[in-house]
Amino acid sequence: MVLTTPISDEMIAKMKTGDLFYLTGELFCGRDAVLPRIVESLRAGSGPDLKGSAIFHTAVSAAGVGPTSSNKLEIESSIAPLSAAGVRLHIGKGQLHEKTIRALEQYHSVYAVIPPVTALLGERMISKEIVGYSELGMEAFYKISVKEYPIIIAAAHGRSIYDE
Amino acid sequence: MMNSGDVVKKVRDALIEASSTFSADKIRAYERAIGSEQDERAKFILRTLLENAQIAQKNKSPLCDDTGIPHLVLEAGPHSVITGKLLEDIRHGVEEGLKKLPGRPMGLLGNDSERLEQSGGISPNSEDVLPAPILLKESDEDITRLHIMMFGGGPAIRAKTYRVFHKHDVKEVMNEIVEWAIEAVAQLGCSPCTLAIGVGRSHYEASALMMEALVEGNYDRQSDMESEITNRVNESGIGPMGLRGRSSVLSTFMKVGPQRASGVRIVCLRPCCCFEPRIARVELA
Repeated sequence: MVLTTPISDEMIAKMKTGDLFYLTGELFCGRDAVLPRIVESLRAGSGPDLKGSAIFHTAVSAAGVGPTSSNKLEIESSIAPLSAAGVRLHIGKGQLHEKTIRALEQYHSVYAVIPPVTALLGERMISKEIVGYSELGMEAFYKISVKEYPIIIAAAHGRSIYDE
Repeated sequence: MMNSGDVVKKVRDALIEASSTFSADKIRAYERAIGSEQDERAKFILRTLLENAQIAQKNKSPLCDDTGIPHLVLEAGPHSVITGKLLEDIRHGVEEGLKKLPGRPMGLLGNDSERLEQSGGISPNSEDVLPAPILLKESDEDITRLHIMMFGGGPAIRAKTYRVFHKHDVKEVMNEIVEWAIEAVAQLGCSPCTLAIGVGRSHYEASALMMEALVEGNYDRQSDMESEITNRVNESGIGPMGLRGRSSVLSTFMKVGPQRASGVRIVCLRPCCCFEPRIARVELA
């Protein structure tokens, strides 16, 4: 199935764990270093507009992109506040905790895993730009434009694919 | 003896090959897994990983954005001459390989405490990711052969080196390894794994034997113990990326070293990710 950003609430409502999508559009990218800063900026009222957005848990470097573990403390703890701010889709890898699954449900957001296929993702990346915290280098806040990234819905509507 | 420039070039090219290429036996292991896997989602992941490997090899680009930390094993035959200059050329070749690949710039700057808390900044240069200390290994062959492996962060998080009380029964050791492996594979997002295992008398020796197991390992050849570990972990049904299936582990590479007369064995287990060992070999003489 095809999925494009921005992601609507109607689209989220139809998703279920195990669904495979080919994702096209713009994605934000961030991981351990920058996501807590984004959360802090949202609390301070100066964060970016994230409504309907997707965030890919990855560094962006000359080597390419690829998922890091979403259950790392600083990443997973960002999922609830970022969902509250409008992020509809979190993309990474690994199993999330029950508390995070519940938060995703509360804010009508979902979590997807993406195979760590850097070479393939590189061929399907159209552009990339830093949109914040450039001092963090490869861990800065990026926006990338992509076509047909393969993702599998791993948590939606209070259910986790890892518990099935 | 090979001249300095040739050593640098060969090491550079080997590092790029290790980072971008699946060996023929690894491709066959993936094809076997796709053929035997019953779960359609697992099959999709395996096929996508194989497609990624084809693109990486074609482009000589990284298989994974975590391009890893270079780990080197140098095999020296009876007439091999290992000089400080050779080691310097190897180091230079690694730097050139990381620059050309390019490797992910993830070398941290600063003093000890700054590097520990990542507060001193990240070097923008790929070549500032320094290799781990070289492991030197004797060989009966008349060679000077360098093996380059690129170790990612995910497997390092889930690896374990610890003692096992064997109770004079190999089953005790095997059961402990399988228990560790199931836990590690379930936590590792990037599977199917290759399990690398060293069993020695100290943590250092067990880790070195784990490295040797990867150097000597072949996906087409499995010992009885290796097959047993692979099969038992696969029976757990964790599957590629932890999303269920029977192909959680492609193979196990295990090396058992000399052991001491005592009730303890030291086991090092690294659950190598779907791309590792990311290995290439090059002759330097």
